[in-house]
Amino acid sequence: MSIVRMTGVSMSYDGVTALDDFSLEMEAAERVVILGPSGCGKTTILRLLAGFETPDAGEIFLADELVARGGRILKSPEQRNLGMVFQDLALWPHLSVKGNLEFGLKAKGLDRDDRERRMATILELVGLVGYEDRKPGALSGGQQQRVALARALVLEPQVLLMDEPLSSLDPELNVRLRREILGLQEKLGFTLVYVTHDRQEAFDMATLVVVVDRGRKVFQGNVEEARAYLQ
Amino acid sequence: MQRRVFLAVIAVLVLVIGLLPVAAMLVRSVLSEGRLSLAAYDGLLGSGRQWTLMGHSLALASLVTVPAVILGVPLGVVLGKTDLPGRRFLTVLFVIPLLIPPYIMAVAWSDLLGGSGLLFGLAGCVFVLLGIFLPIPLLLTMVLLRTVDPRLEEAGLLAGGWGRVLRGITLPLIRPGILLAAMLVFLLSCGEFSVPNYLRYDVFSVECFTQFSAFYDFKAATAAAVPLAVVTLLILLLERMFLREKTYRLRPAAGADRLPRMALGRWRGWVLGAVWMTALVLVIVPLGVLVARSGGPAAYAEALHRAGDSLLRSLGYAVIGATLLSLLGFFTGYLIQTRALGIWRFIDTVTVFLFALPGTVIGIGLISLWNTPWTNFIYGTPVIIILGYLARYTALTSRICVAQLEQIPPSMTEAARMAGAGWVRHMAFIIAPLARRGLVAGWLVGYVFSLRDTGITMLVYPPGHETMPVRIFTLMANGSPQLVAAACVVMITATLLPPGLLWLGLNKEKGNP
Repeated sequence: MSIVRMTGVSMSYDGVTALDDFSLEMEAAERVVILGPSGCGKTTILRLLAGFETPDAGEIFLADELVARGGRILKSPEQRNLGMVFQDLALWPHLSVKGNLEFGLKAKGLDRDDRERRMATILELVGLVGYEDRKPGALSGGQQQRVALARALVLEPQVLLMDEPLSSLDPELNVRLRREILGLQEKLGFTLVYVTHDRQEAFDMATLVVVVDRGRKVFQGNVEEARAYLQ
Repeated sequence: MQRRVFLAVIAVLVLVIGLLPVAAMLVRSVLSEGRLSLAAYDGLLGSGRQWTLMGHSLALASLVTVPAVILGVPLGVVLGKTDLPGRRFLTVLFVIPLLIPPYIMAVAWSDLLGGSGLLFGLAGCVFVLLGIFLPIPLLLTMVLLRTVDPRLEEAGLLAGGWGRVLRGITLPLIRPGILLAAMLVFLLSCGEFSVPNYLRYDVFSVECFTQFSAFYDFKAATAAAVPLAVVTLLILLLERMFLREKTYRLRPAAGADRLPRMALGRWRGWVLGAVWMTALVLVIVPLGVLVARSGGPAAYAEALHRAGDSLLRSLGYAVIGATLLSLLGFFTGYLIQTRALGIWRFIDTVTVFLFALPGTVIGIGLISLWNTPWTNFIYGTPVIIILGYLARYTALTSRICVAQLEQIPPSMTEAARMAGAGWVRHMAFIIAPLARRGLVAGWLVGYVFSLRDTGITMLVYPPGHETMPVRIFTLMANGSPQLVAAACVVMITATLLPPGLLWLGLNKEKGNP
């Protein structure tokens, strides 16, 4: 069973093509990195998967269930069981770390014990125990990244979407967080769709690399094949 | 679905509270005993008086608008962009006349100049209204300067000095916003009734009020209100055609908090002197005259004795009005900002139209719609006053909320949706807290404008429910000058004190995150 399937998906903004006849299939627990320059359509792929955009043409399946097809969204973002780490993180500044994590758990109707258990587990995993009551503004850049990751993972999504999440960090922290994300993926087993324009980051994170240029998929293969293609 | 239904209810509320009364007024003005008739317009059109009134109204509006823009824009640049000392205090000082009932400034100048006759007529009206509406281009310029990308100015500064940058880059970029400010001053001057009424200059808004309150001729009052509504509509249509898209594009620039600031250098003393002199003439002298004229504690004691109940009522209505205005403005602003319904642009235009419409016209509209035996529970109670506030001032609170909502990155909303939040939860726990400064600012503006309202309240207040501005207006006819001056000072204090304290609290919160 493929966990994500996009077939012949196209989309344009105000007449400008953002994605053109794009297809992709990925298995559970796979790590797919979408690589390409700015404005090539990488983020559009994530937003289509998340349900924030409607494809003009093509179909999108999640766990073999049709969630969108040309001109229609059949399942809204909250019904898709996905997590997302945004490029600007989008941490809610008025809520504490705990508040940011708890928001989605409450929306899902989990009781207090379940919420506490899940939050404690994820905070332990991302190394943020003791920071529960801090507001995002009082955390370092790396800690904010971890909160964004924890907020997405605490809902136990089947697929985690990450939109250039480490692009604003210094190189050392960037490498450390990559390792942490890989460790979490191994432990929790989610499928990862990771968008970046950085080749080395792509090679470190991926089991499958997809190269996009001007809205079209120009390459798909494993890391070794990608290295050869991009040389 | 839940969101669309709720916002549809909000849209219907805006239309019923604001547009329906104006529509009812138009319909009633052309109906006589169930038949189509222009009899109501006969008196006005037959005498040719409408041309005199129209000429007066347009002359007054034009003569206030031109100097207000010529003076307001440079003041906005000086206070918003330079290193002038005391900028914040001076800004507050200039804004005071806009926040209080307009006729208070006329009373102050009349106290100063006595019965010399200098103040009466067109020239006096222009002078008094200039001080009252100057803050509009001034404040809008200050806000607009924050929409200019600092990098554009910095790139210009590499090629030339500030003078060149202002003329060639900054001011051309904000020109649509300046034209919008001019349009607002024009419409508000055209519809202002209390100052021309006090200074005895015949304009349409005074005619409308006089026909209704002095002659009890509702049809003639309506006929005088319709031309004002038509002028407002025409000007807003022009704005819609030529300015709207351009002003929508004016958004706070990234990095607006670190805008390059002009150093005045050797000009600092001269500029400071000129700004203080302007403040002295337009604000400090008239307000100082009121305080001096009131004499002492005895006048204040009498003012509170004779108008204390009106003051309390005013405060109560203003608090209720502000609370409802901030809520209605928040949801209307949300509807407009998210474009959640296809009619968002129409709703936006309707609210702006109602704000630009003279208060007397809205008052006549409210009477047309609600003065029936079946709706006396509204017309015969203070509810009608609150409806008037909501009809006219929702544009202010919704615009503030739109600006605040624009600051919230879309990813915050998207993150909430990914977390599975429904619309109500998302609004209550994410959007409302993030927009709380807009809500509070909307409340403050709603409070001030509800409290200062004269045009609507004067026409619709039920017996025994007169507000403080109405009470002072009555005292002007039969009270001593000391008493009127003291009542005006009490009114100014009641208007400025609560927002001042709240604003200080907000700034403290901003300073200590």
